[in-house]
Amino acid sequence: MSSPLNGGSPISTSGPILEARGLVKSYDEGRVEALRGVDLKIDAGEYAAISGPSGSGKSTLLHLLGGLDTATQGQVFFNGSVLGKAVDLDTYRSRQVGFIFQAFYLLPTLRAAENVQVAMLALHEKANHRAERAAALLEEMGLGTRMNHFPNQLSAGERQRVAIARALANDPTLLLADEPTGNLDSVNSAHIMDLLCGIREQRGMTMIVVTHENDIANAAPRHIRIRDGKIES
Amino acid sequence: MASQLSFTGFAWKNLWRRRLRTLLTLVGITMGIGAFVALVGFSRAFEHEWMRMYTSSGIDIAVVQSNLLSSSIDESLATKISAVPDVAQVAPMIFNLMDLTPEVNALVYGWRANSYELDSLTLLSGHRFHDGTQEILLGDLLASNLGKKVGDMLSIQGTNFTVAGVFHGGSALEAGSVIMPLDQMQIVAGMEGKVTAFHVKLRAAPAGESYDDYVKQASAAIEAVLPGTRAFPAAERAANNQIVALAHSVAWGTSAIALLIGILGIANTMAMSVFERTREIGILRALGWKGRHVILLILAEAAALGFVGGLVGVGVGWGTLRLLSTLPQTASVVSASVSPSYLLESLLIAIAAGLLAGAYPAWRGARLSPMEALRYE
Ligand SMILES: Nc1ncnc2c1ncn2[C@@H]1O[C@H](COP(=O)(O)OP(=O)(O)OP(=O)(O)O)[C@@H](O)[C@H]1O
Ligand SMILES: [Mg+2]
Repeated sequence: MSSPLNGGSPISTSGPILEARGLVKSYDEGRVEALRGVDLKIDAGEYAAISGPSGSGKSTLLHLLGGLDTATQGQVFFNGSVLGKAVDLDTYRSRQVGFIFQAFYLLPTLRAAENVQVAMLALHEKANHRAERAAALLEEMGLGTRMNHFPNQLSAGERQRVAIARALANDPTLLLADEPTGNLDSVNSAHIMDLLCGIREQRGMTMIVVTHENDIANAAPRHIRIRDGKIES
Repeated sequence: MASQLSFTGFAWKNLWRRRLRTLLTLVGITMGIGAFVALVGFSRAFEHEWMRMYTSSGIDIAVVQSNLLSSSIDESLATKISAVPDVAQVAPMIFNLMDLTPEVNALVYGWRANSYELDSLTLLSGHRFHDGTQEILLGDLLASNLGKKVGDMLSIQGTNFTVAGVFHGGSALEAGSVIMPLDQMQIVAGMEGKVTAFHVKLRAAPAGESYDDYVKQASAAIEAVLPGTRAFPAAERAANNQIVALAHSVAWGTSAIALLIGILGIANTMAMSVFERTREIGILRALGWKGRHVILLILAEAAALGFVGGLVGVGVGWGTLRLLSTLPQTASVVSASVSPSYLLESLLIAIAAGLLAGAYPAWRGARLSPMEALRYE
């Protein structure tokens, strides 16, 4: 399937890895407009921070970029292919995207290592391979001695590190984080951001971090500001 | 080393997390499957015993009135059946379930003293009865349950009979039965000049012809000379006689209700569990789980409930059948043997019940969009 918008080439290596064109997202049958025409290009390997006031549409944009939700109008292109059309959203999330959330979203009944493995259950991998990979990722997050702990036995910073390991489980090309330090104190916050930046650099991943903390936003090579559902700069 | 998480392991953890609810659900399905195994197993064993009785006494065809509920045919028609070319012998007979004492009821047969069916029985003590006398033969199991021996008296429906002999037969049904002269039975049952069935023995099948075809042809020939009757091959008759048919329908009816309750229990548990885990399902979807992975997880949990409940239920049902085969009231109609394929069949029914019950909750869980599920409070 080719469209005039991507010039008939579904995979392009030179263009942006992610592109949003005319994204509109409305809720409640149009009564709430969370995004009002967002155009955005993110290059492969780029690290961008998105900031803006509460309710400005940051999370909404991140969800659309990560294939968690669909736009009311407009399209998201991944390597030139339209999400939800040329690329199946489930497959996109399971192969290309790693999500990190403010509230960690760990499963309370699973141990740290199992929380990481649960993300790999949807992929066709052997059980022992899944366990080894989870252990290696937790080791990398400095949680080698916390693998068999349940989430309620871990500190907030540790929980977020488990969540990061889980986001990396499918070896994604995109790392999308929504206020990853929102539930952490400043020391833990700095630690998590260092960790994320190190991971991105080492693996050459593309990373988008939504934040309302100026320090984090200003430290990023690219800073995207959103207000009232539109990009300011 | 970190523990390994498999898909099934994840399903187990989800069930384990609500132990009490899981246990109560299991009790429901266990009772459903247990009732199914015990009741349907009982009625099948009952049919099986009838079959054994027919085969051991050499009956090829049973001729009854085409009205299945209560058959009553003129005894004099026996001569017409005898005239059918392939027929070797015709035994007019009556059978009925009667109360002997308030606790014990038994199958009571009326046979002619010269019936070929008597030849298949082994007389353990005493002698055969004579037509026209108030004499009876007792199956060995019934004799010992009643504490009767040759020469003792037994009252049946207000008439006193002398025990002429005690016999051992080819099936548990016979072991628990009473046989009396046909003419006496006609008086006791109020069926003078009538019988419930003719049990027909055929000549040996001609070489080259299959037994089944031969019996079918002979049955058709008998029905042709006796309009208004049905001639069943003995094997079919075992499944069709009114007592067996009644046992089957009671067993299936009762266990269907018990199974339905078990299925509703699983459906309710899974629906609640999916509802409670809406947020978790959203997280799994965000991690790349497809809708069908969610369906698979819910179905795996429901099938596991069916499997475990079924396993215990099969054990309970099997134990009940064993018990019934030793109780004096029921030993005459159930033998202790239960076929393994029947137990396996019951287990498969339990798993299927789980899958059926999980289908709708699974569909509900997968239908929500990832964002709706994730946002759920
Ligand atoms: N499911 C929904 N139904 C209705 N309105 C919604 C829904 N989700 C978001 N909104 C609205 O859309 C707007 C943008 O929400 P969004 O969560 O993207 O903001 P945000 O920039 O992430 O804010 P915050 O910094 O507080 O997290 C808000 O006004 C919010 O109320
Ligand atoms: Mg937000």
